[in-house]
Amino acid sequence: MAQLEQLNGKMIGAQITPGEQVFARKGAMLSYTGDVQFVPSTTGGAGMGGFVGRMVAGESVPLMVAQGNGNVLFGHGGFQTKIVQLDGVNNLTVEADKLLLYDGSLQAGTQFLAQNGGMRAVVQGQMTGQGLFTTVLSGVGNAVLLSHGPIFEIPIGGGEVAVDPQAYVAHKGNVDVKLDASVSWRDAVGKGSGEAFQLKMTGSGTVYVQASERKIS
Amino acid sequence: MPTFRLNGSRLLEVDIAGESFKALNGSMVAYTGQVQFKRQGMTGGGGGIMGAVKRKVSGESVTLMDCTGSGTVYIANEAQEINLVELAGETLWVEASNLVALSSSVKTDVKFNGLRGMSTGQGLATTVATGNGTLAITTDGPAIILEVAPGQPLCVDPQAYVCHKGQLQQDFITDVNWRTAIGQNSGESFQLRFQGQGIVYIQPAERQGGVDL
Repeated sequence: MAQLEQLNGKMIGAQITPGEQVFARKGAMLSYTGDVQFVPSTTGGAGMGGFVGRMVAGESVPLMVAQGNGNVLFGHGGFQTKIVQLDGVNNLTVEADKLLLYDGSLQAGTQFLAQNGGMRAVVQGQMTGQGLFTTVLSGVGNAVLLSHGPIFEIPIGGGEVAVDPQAYVAHKGNVDVKLDASVSWRDAVGKGSGEAFQLKMTGSGTVYVQASERKIS
Repeated sequence: MPTFRLNGSRLLEVDIAGESFKALNGSMVAYTGQVQFKRQGMTGGGGGIMGAVKRKVSGESVTLMDCTGSGTVYIANEAQEINLVELAGETLWVEASNLVALSSSVKTDVKFNGLRGMSTGQGLATTVATGNGTLAITTDGPAIILEVAPGQPLCVDPQAYVCHKGQLQQDFITDVNWRTAIGQNSGESFQLRFQGQGIVYIQPAERQGGVDL
């Protein structure tokens, strides 16, 4: 497991030793010391299935693998970063464009939204511009999230938590996500409140939300 | 009255219990509990036909929504810093683009201010808020709060100006000379001057737009 260190709000230092791999957003390396290779990755560490998954998903965020022996600095576009630790019990579901890097010890997969929510979820992806696939990370290791403005965590448990799809970054744990559309005639005539779509979350876990509604590119 | 609370400097949390408050359209990032969001028909410029005409003419387009229900609403806009300003029967002049949320008990109106707005890209009008309650003001970077005392006028860059309150007289001064005409100006040809007693909020960033001399 590569050692990750939060250097400041926007930069992550990763210590890589031989035999370890770090998957990162292509081009996110800022500098490195030592002997580190960066190789484009098409599979995202998930084998052939992952490759097909990513192809079908039309993932717009290509990944690379960093391996070797040294220290690497990662960052992207001046966006905020946050390290999330996975303990092997809870999975992390994250939007591909909001994932900066993850440990090679984690298993990555793409989740087709419709597996969870049927046709409604397919509509969800299209209406909210989120796409039909999200990345799911499982196992023991660290992942780093990217956000515009600081990330805050809202615990899920008990009541329902609703999140603006544009401010949603990721969620962890055993969480059920459902799109709620409260589209009224006002939205149809362009007089809506701008909050017609919400992701309703129930179960137990944590949702990570950014203080902005901007997309990361 | 709903409670306005900051979580860090860029996120506003508002607790409501069967009450309502107003927020910038689309600025909700999350909520817990049961909350409805409804765009306000009449915002700024007062109600009725005159209000609608004022809004149309002035382009002071602050589109607000009513948030009603019980729970906690999380509000944020473009990861900008949020500042809370309390009003106790006073008047606050604020740029519409810097307003993100306010108590329902605060009334907003649109006032014209002529050349100033046109040359600084802020539209011809400014928003005036009165009443008792809280306003949440966004700034690009941490807000700088400056005090104005009698005999000590304060000049600010219109593009950095955010809001002001108190007994202040505002005028617009220009420093346009032959250098400006040939494009050799200092970039500070327009200023807002405040005289009297009160406080002025500015942001450490300058809005784009307006007449670029």
